[in-house]
Amino acid sequence: MLALLKQKSYRDRTLQTLFVGGLAVMLVIFVMTARTNLEAQGMTSGFDFLERATGWGVSFSLIDFSTSDSYLKVIWVGLLNSLFLGVISMSFATIIGIAIGIMRVSGNKMAELIGTIYVEVFRNLPLLLQAFFWYAILTTLPKPRDAYDIGGIAFLSGRGVYLPGLNVSGLSVFLSAIGLVIAFAVWLNLTTSRRFAKMMPKEKTARARSIWLAWGFAACVVMAMGRIPDTPLLNLPYLKGLNFREGIRVSPELLTCIVAISIYGGAYIGEIVRAGFNAVSNGQKEAGFALGLTPWQIFTRIRLPLAIRAVMPMLINQYVWLFKATTIGIAVGFVDFFMVISTSINQSGQTLELIAILMGGFLCINYTMAFALNRVNDAIKLKGTQARG
Amino acid sequence: MTNSQSAVRISDMDKYYGTFHALKGINLDIAKGEKIVICGPSGSGKSTLIRCINRLEEHQVGSINVLGTELDDNLDNIDEIRRETGMVFQHFNLFPHMTVLENCILAPMLVRKQERHLAERDAMELLTKVKIPEQAEKYPGQLSGGQQQRVAIARALCMKPAIMLFDEPTSALDPEMISEVLDVMVGLAHEGMTMICVTHEMGFARQVADRVIFMDGGEVIEQAPPDQFFDNPQHERTQAFLGQILGH
Repeated sequence: MLALLKQKSYRDRTLQTLFVGGLAVMLVIFVMTARTNLEAQGMTSGFDFLERATGWGVSFSLIDFSTSDSYLKVIWVGLLNSLFLGVISMSFATIIGIAIGIMRVSGNKMAELIGTIYVEVFRNLPLLLQAFFWYAILTTLPKPRDAYDIGGIAFLSGRGVYLPGLNVSGLSVFLSAIGLVIAFAVWLNLTTSRRFAKMMPKEKTARARSIWLAWGFAACVVMAMGRIPDTPLLNLPYLKGLNFREGIRVSPELLTCIVAISIYGGAYIGEIVRAGFNAVSNGQKEAGFALGLTPWQIFTRIRLPLAIRAVMPMLINQYVWLFKATTIGIAVGFVDFFMVISTSINQSGQTLELIAILMGGFLCINYTMAFALNRVNDAIKLKGTQARG
Repeated sequence: MTNSQSAVRISDMDKYYGTFHALKGINLDIAKGEKIVICGPSGSGKSTLIRCINRLEEHQVGSINVLGTELDDNLDNIDEIRRETGMVFQHFNLFPHMTVLENCILAPMLVRKQERHLAERDAMELLTKVKIPEQAEKYPGQLSGGQQQRVAIARALCMKPAIMLFDEPTSALDPEMISEVLDVMVGLAHEGMTMICVTHEMGFARQVADRVIFMDGGEVIEQAPPDQFFDNPQHERTQAFLGQILGH
């Protein structure tokens, strides 16, 4: 018996079994206690409430929603809003971050100073404070009648920003966006997968071109089918009476969230990008110069691709973090996932179930995002060992 | 007056790092087709010297003329000189995110505006010459040090340079890989390439060099054909240096 305990494989398996068994017992005890307590207070548990009508509306939704729709649908609305906000603000944060990162390693003293000030200001102030700040600014913009006019097609006012849009259904825009993601995935597979390594570069280029052409064509067809009848294709906002008509209205709440998260995330991503550039050894740059490449060619072909690869794991971490930051919507009244759940808890009283849905939702989204980005990382990461400079 | 037979002509050149005087009054005339080996103790300025020839380092005083082009502040001149000189580094400096073939065709396509299929054909020819055509689709990280350095030589040759600069090409290699790189360099020398090599491979110097240059403390101390340099060094610092590296 004692001899058996000294066997590593036996001991490892025993410890694993005890650990998993202990966890299972604890879980069962938790569930039983919770159920007993809830019954004692006369509260019903379960997910039946999801079928009930909410009786309250939402101020922003990507899909049709009325007060007679169910809780399930309102949660779906919140989830879509959060995804919508996340995709837009993370894209802007990336663009800002890359620009700031480049400024900080540019060698131009003025650009470096601006980049440093940007990072130090926006990284060190709490996100919530920044959200309040932008909200205060955006809601004190002039009334629609005195709105700032940007070339006659877009308007800035205290009731929101009005942008030109296309008279097509939301579904067709959504499908086109999904198509773009698929096209990107296929293109990435084509350019990095081992399976296509032997393919002639000419054919590879031709295939890549046909992928993008196919997407462009499909997107045009989908948009054409989604045309709203009897309207011009371009949908321009115009002032009528006291407010704007037509166009796309971006509410101050949504815009606050986008601006705050983009600027805050941009500061963090800027630091990550800077670290990436610093991680690229000087040798690669010198080799580029020795071959006669221009600074711009060295930057786009060598330094940027290597910097992105060096910091990809950190960037994934940052994107997961930024998606969680979309919950500041509740602070300014943007109907995000968190706010929908919070209102539902007040209205229905089903706290535990709704919190579980909230946690499950974030877990799913962030896990899926990290999984997808990790695949991208695997596809582009440097092959072989990189022991030598 | 530039001698039309000169590949590189350096006159009264000084180089400072801040207040540190790294190169002092360098005068050097290298003919086309000549093979030069530069040696000297660590910190003697030999790497700095060849890095000045293609402006990886900037000199402060004197002039450098490469194939009739004056190396000055004019960016066109710098580009012209970099197109005509290939360089091989101690740590290879390959681009790790590109395959061996992509490493080789990048500069010909971007700088010489060569078409891809022509650049690839030339690159495969040169990879065959350095004896690794079968590695063309691999990434640098998947090759041994010796293979990587041979790729680096092929990459530099793809630009069809008139002058090749070697900055300690074998110093970072394991001993058994040194000869495969030196073989390629010897082959290149026999084809008549103008070569300037910073190296401590004295066997290589004896075999191919037309002239060996000894540097110490940022100055050229002695230069002579290899037989004379190794068998009858004139300067006592040269004698001390040779005694150290050949003495065991």
